[in-house]
Amino acid sequence: MKLWMFAVLALAATAELAPKRQQREGGRPGVNNTLTAIPGIKVGHHTLTERPTGCTVVLIEGGATASVDVRGAAPATRDTDLLNPAKMVEQIQGIALSGGSTFGLSTADGVLKYLEEKNVGIAYGRRRIPIVPGASIFDLGVGDASVRPTADCGYRAAQAATDAAVVEGSVGAGTGATLGKLGGMERAMKSGVGSAAIVMPDGVIIAALVVVNPVGDVIDPATGKIVAGVRAEGRPGFADARVMMRSGVPRVNRGDNSTIGVIATNATLTKAQASYLAQMTDDGYARAIWPIHTMVDGDTVFAIATGGKPGAPDMMTIGALAADVMATAVVRAATQATGLPNLPAVRDLK
Amino acid sequence: MKRYALSLVCAACLSTDGGLRSTSNVVQAFRPATAGAQSDTSSNTTLTAVDGIKVGSFTLPGGTTGCTVILVDGEGVPGGVSQRGGAPGTRETDLLNPLNMVDKVNAVVLSGGSAFGLDTATGTVKWLEEHHIGWDVRVTRVPIVPAAILFDLPIGNNARNHPGPDCGYKAVESATTAPVTMGTVGAGAGATVGKMGGAGTSMKGGLGSAALRMPNGLVVAAIVAVNAAGDILDPDTGKVIAGARKADGTFADARTLLRSGALAQRRAPAPRAVENTTIGLVATNAKLTKAEVSRMALMGDDGYARAIFPSHTMGDGDTVFSLATGKWDGQADVSLIGALAADAMARALVQAVTQATGLPNIPAVRDLKK
Repeated sequence: MKLWMFAVLALAATAELAPKRQQREGGRPGVNNTLTAIPGIKVGHHTLTERPTGCTVVLIEGGATASVDVRGAAPATRDTDLLNPAKMVEQIQGIALSGGSTFGLSTADGVLKYLEEKNVGIAYGRRRIPIVPGASIFDLGVGDASVRPTADCGYRAAQAATDAAVVEGSVGAGTGATLGKLGGMERAMKSGVGSAAIVMPDGVIIAALVVVNPVGDVIDPATGKIVAGVRAEGRPGFADARVMMRSGVPRVNRGDNSTIGVIATNATLTKAQASYLAQMTDDGYARAIWPIHTMVDGDTVFAIATGGKPGAPDMMTIGALAADVMATAVVRAATQATGLPNLPAVRDLK
Repeated sequence: MKRYALSLVCAACLSTDGGLRSTSNVVQAFRPATAGAQSDTSSNTTLTAVDGIKVGSFTLPGGTTGCTVILVDGEGVPGGVSQRGGAPGTRETDLLNPLNMVDKVNAVVLSGGSAFGLDTATGTVKWLEEHHIGWDVRVTRVPIVPAAILFDLPIGNNARNHPGPDCGYKAVESATTAPVTMGTVGAGAGATVGKMGGAGTSMKGGLGSAALRMPNGLVVAAIVAVNAAGDILDPDTGKVIAGARKADGTFADARTLLRSGALAQRRAPAPRAVENTTIGLVATNAKLTKAEVSRMALMGDDGYARAIFPSHTMGDGDTVFSLATGKWDGQADVSLIGALAADAMARALVQAVTQATGLPNIPAVRDLKK
């Protein structure tokens, strides 16, 4: 009886607090609150041992309608043109996210090899052509820049892909990810991979996975407070990029950035609707990262719809919540990260 | 020609004459002389704090629709646009693509009246041609006037009373460097927000503006007519400022409303497509290329994401224009300018709802009991 009351009280207390949304939609023990909450989606990481970098692969072997929104000014992407709704290919079978900047784009080659071996892809005669768009973050400044994820990384990540809850933090494509770089790498923090999901009463699922590597700070949109960012000089706490930029910081010219992510739903979308979903999801970046979409960020959002749930989608609800769940995933990428020497994570502070 | 000379003289004497140059019969006139009569612009926290920019609004009789014109000094300046809402009403936005030739914008028109309101730009073009302002094609000047509209037809008797060329002409004629008059005026006269909760639960939107001034002289500012389906949030706290209301008068919070699945279950889902749209502009006194000013518009659009939930929906024609007047000689960092543009835009959105005055059955923030 006592235990029951305690449980109710605890539940009520959790529900009362707006910032706790992050806990409700991510990290609930025993419940998959990550991208793989959507049936048909698998995620796998491979982390290199030579230096902090790696890749993360999303597999949709049954195919998913897909599109993309690239709003950062310094993108590193592959096969994004075909995701334009005016182009032919409707469905993709995988997405390769990686470290290693433009070099890391070759991770997709390994995913193609893996899928071709499994005979997954668009039918072309007796062969199958897998469609695997990709995007990379810049992490060459963390450790030995000559070490990059390659096709081998992509192959291993695809092999490791499962429908278990996504492992978050400093893993896969987020291994070398950092944030809060307006004051230089000396005052930056460690970032990583985050994921979150919302399950609607009608069974529609909206889920996000993101590799957070911005020049900017990560903000909790529910409170406006900094979660992780440029560390203050000579005192604990944050410098606050919003304050720094107003007081005339040096030019924003550090190119060690990009936030790349995936939004997914089990709803049935057209390719144009997927394009729209990607665009609305980008608002989650705007809410949880400050500044975002700068000249030195290659921010990219892929959108995929598995179509597991038939019927006309309610784009208003799906799009709006997609932005929200992406913002939650961004915050989780910061809170789940583990630090490196001179690059503390949120959990290392205090 | 005579009027042109007059406007030049008066532009020069603004420091003493303030906002009172306007002799037009505007329903909602500009601020009183006390607000405009600043010898310097440092206390101006609106779009006109940007050197080289004037703003004029005209509100139609009845006070529930109108238009707002942003006028650029001289031969025009580079402009850009970010158009991310799903139901836009725009004019001359294609030429703002950095791949296209024209790199000088003379004015931007924001208007109520849905697609009908695009005609307001015709009046602004006429006024500019009369004043020999525009792209020089030898036989005449072709004024470059991009425009965007918002949907306010259900408000007042707007359905048969659209802002037209006359509105665009009067608004540009009245444009001044005085602080922008905000609230239920011009393009924001018929604007509403918080339409996710169904009929009778929305609130008054309006015209808002904000400016950020950097120690080195860089100014980044925004103006916006907010007519969003979504709620308006304060990005500094995450709290709802204006939005859909519950029966008890408290905010329903679109974030909660959407999670409940209520919207998906409703037979005639509110908001209906195209009954919304937030239209605005960010400007700086820095010197930017056409590509850079396009990035500024894109980044300024992040202000919508931060202060409106949800923004950029299928039922919103959200559009952000950008202008760089180049009056400031400092070294421009477009990432900084864009980041500040997003902040200025978020502040302008908050201003739009806090400065708005209510209409019958559509309360403004100031009408709510604290």
